[in-house]
Amino acid sequence: MSEHKQLRDVFDAIADPTRRQLIRLLAETDDIPLHELTTQFNMGRTAVSKHLSILKEAGLVMDRKVGRETRFKLNPSPLREVQDWLSFYNKFWTANLLSLGFLLEEEDK
Amino acid sequence: MSLKLELDFQYKTSIEKLWSALTDSNKLAKWVLENDFEPVVGHQFQFRAKPNEYWDGIIDGEVLIVDPPSHLSYSWAVGEEKHTVNWTLREIEDGKVNLHLEQTGFSNVHGLEGARHGWTNWCGELDKVLA
Repeated sequence: MSEHKQLRDVFDAIADPTRRQLIRLLAETDDIPLHELTTQFNMGRTAVSKHLSILKEAGLVMDRKVGRETRFKLNPSPLREVQDWLSFYNKFWTANLLSLGFLLEEEDK
Repeated sequence: MSLKLELDFQYKTSIEKLWSALTDSNKLAKWVLENDFEPVVGHQFQFRAKPNEYWDGIIDGEVLIVDPPSHLSYSWAVGEEKHTVNWTLREIEDGKVNLHLEQTGFSNVHGLEGARHGWTNWCGELDKVLA
């Protein structure tokens, strides 16, 4: 898991299409500077940078300084949370729907 | 991976009885949780689980669709997480009824920009990222 403190909900971070596009681009590279990311969008550097900081707050992006530039990297582990709710509710409903079966049988007696 | 949960169960019962199990507050308490549910569109209700140190145990819902005896839908909110729960009942052979559950999250994303921005495709890619 990430040791970075998560300041923002991961669901919130991925709710925006630009940020999902950023995750896609970051998933394809090891390490990428802001100006290379910016060329992929119809928006300015500041706007892209703002989206990156939201991803950073959710622990999805890590950055490091290389000389004068900052390079960005994806940290996919918080995305597990998105998978977790599915497995939680899968167990929750499966157990409940089995008891519903028993309940319906009881009623028929 | 998909951002929705789908389950199908078959019960040997009548569609009316199954509908009642899904909509009657007393019956819901027996197989889901204590609640103040009413099958009335717009009705706001709670399911109450046992609280623990991480969670107050409350699920907030609002009834969205009541179309007896085949379709029921409500919202399902736990903290910041908001889902929609859809139930579809369908009579099948041998006096059985199929109950289909579909629970989706990100309801706003789906509604407003899901189609436009290929949310579904993105889920496939999410699998690759997590692989």
